[in-house]
Amino acid sequence: MRPLFANLFRDRLVLLAVAILVVLLLSAVFAPLLPIGRPDQIGFGPRLSPPDLANLFGTDQLGRSVLARVLQGVQSTTLLSTIAVLISGLISAMVAMMSAYYSPVSDEVFSRISDVMFSFPPILCGILVVAVLSPGTVSAMAVISLVTFPTMLRVVRAATLGIMKLDFVVVAEISGVSFLRRVFTHILPNVSSVIAVQLIYSISFGMILESAMSFLGIGVQPPVASLGTLIRDGMSYMEIAPWLTFSAGIVLSLAILSINLLGDGLKRLVDPLERA
Amino acid sequence: MNKLVTFALRRGGAALTLLGVSVVVFAAIHMIPGSFEEVLVPRGTPEFRQAVAERLGLDQPLPIQYLTWLGNLLQGDFGLSLVTSQPVWAEFSHRLPVTIEIALTATMLSIVIGMPVGIAAGLSGGRRDVATASRLFSGFTLSVPDFVIAGFFVYIFSKYALGLTIGNWVPLAVDPVAHLRGLVLPAVTLSVPGIGIVAATARHATRAVLQQDYIVAAQLRGRSWRQVVMRHVIRNASIPVVTVVSIFLGYLLGGTILVEMLYSIPGFGRYLFLGIQSRDYTVVQSGVMIAAAFFILLNMLTDIAYAWIDPRMRQQESA
Repeated sequence: MRPLFANLFRDRLVLLAVAILVVLLLSAVFAPLLPIGRPDQIGFGPRLSPPDLANLFGTDQLGRSVLARVLQGVQSTTLLSTIAVLISGLISAMVAMMSAYYSPVSDEVFSRISDVMFSFPPILCGILVVAVLSPGTVSAMAVISLVTFPTMLRVVRAATLGIMKLDFVVVAEISGVSFLRRVFTHILPNVSSVIAVQLIYSISFGMILESAMSFLGIGVQPPVASLGTLIRDGMSYMEIAPWLTFSAGIVLSLAILSINLLGDGLKRLVDPLERA
Repeated sequence: MNKLVTFALRRGGAALTLLGVSVVVFAAIHMIPGSFEEVLVPRGTPEFRQAVAERLGLDQPLPIQYLTWLGNLLQGDFGLSLVTSQPVWAEFSHRLPVTIEIALTATMLSIVIGMPVGIAAGLSGGRRDVATASRLFSGFTLSVPDFVIAGFFVYIFSKYALGLTIGNWVPLAVDPVAHLRGLVLPAVTLSVPGIGIVAATARHATRAVLQQDYIVAAQLRGRSWRQVVMRHVIRNASIPVVTVVSIFLGYLLGGTILVEMLYSIPGFGRYLFLGIQSRDYTVVQSGVMIAAAFFILLNMLTDIAYAWIDPRMRQQESA
């Protein structure tokens, strides 16, 4: 693993992305220690004051610090998407390897399931889930999982199909290595980079999806913070205080961009065409 | 004969996927707390409710209800809106063209801008500055959510009179110029991720094509670089682009909701979202089915387009 990470950090865009992410997440975690006010502290500054040195991102209609609120939002949006994707992504990666390798029938069944779920437009899927479960953290995570798992299933399946016919896997099978052992010691190490890249892309897509749903008012509900909610609430003051929407929008885009650049950097490492 | 079997299997596969979608949609709608009759008669006696449920067949077991719904769908009968009692299809028929027009325009923009950018970047080979610039470009286009871009445009174009209108959708037949003014911003907003995907795909494909032997062969035959690019590179690099474009377009029919809300466009996406808020379940279930069917249909068309662009695929199918 060491050479992979060494190469990954030689990539300047990846370094930039990691730097942005570290700054965003560290300042979100240590926000209570910074002199920026609490996210719910009414009257921390004057109402609707534009960004200045005292309030880097300005204040909202209740005089709350926008910076504190944005940091709280970015932490919650990132965490929510990461947890949802890690759980559903790792499970679907396992399912994809096993079903593709086990038999053509299991392969067909799970491919069909992922085709069906892939055909739902993401936001529509979100609306349906929220109608059934009512909006909240659980349904937001369910939506992220439902929308991202078909892609994971597809790419890991394709990678597994490419590996399972190779000699070393066939030899293992003939020598009587058990099915599970073959999956975990022969196939998994060879598809792990595909899984990692897809996990990262899923997290960034999950963040877009979660904030889009919060923007529509069907994502996580207060008091859970979300950048989508901040962007929507800021729209009412767009004419007189554009910094409310824009600071949340820019931080959200930056966070997603750095996650995407990280995924892109990792993907290039395993892509022979880009290495050349 | 074999070709026919493959053909039938593929189409059968698409039908099976659509069938799966219908089961999921039906199950989801019926899992929503608060049933159809609660929407139709919010304050009625239990007997009256019972009568309404019987008349609509809601007292039947779920599998029977599902089959009835599916049968009606197959005959093009989408049922009546629970809110307006109008046929759902009538409600859709004047909203779908709006969304399709915006989606198609956004897709065209993605191809027209993304292809030249991607191919040019790919032709520059492994130059590091070009690689960095293209990665940042694709990264940005794929990372800024559409409602953030739309929010930015709404701010700029409502603050300064720049000739493009927001929240004023004029049908083409009424006033073509005003129509175009309302179309540009939503289409541009939706095209942003499309441009990024097309550019990244075209760049990667171009670099892959350049390594093929037939490029060297064409050059050895004395073809000019320009001819090689026109005849071989662009044609071959466009194959993977077809796939991403069709997935992008397919996703747009159900993916315009936020943009339609922000620009106040009387389209299909906004109608579906308002439908779920007013609990108009017949509208929602048919709407989701239409969006999914459109997506699956596009995938099928992609397979056909493949055969048209790439003769090797045709041979594979007939072999």
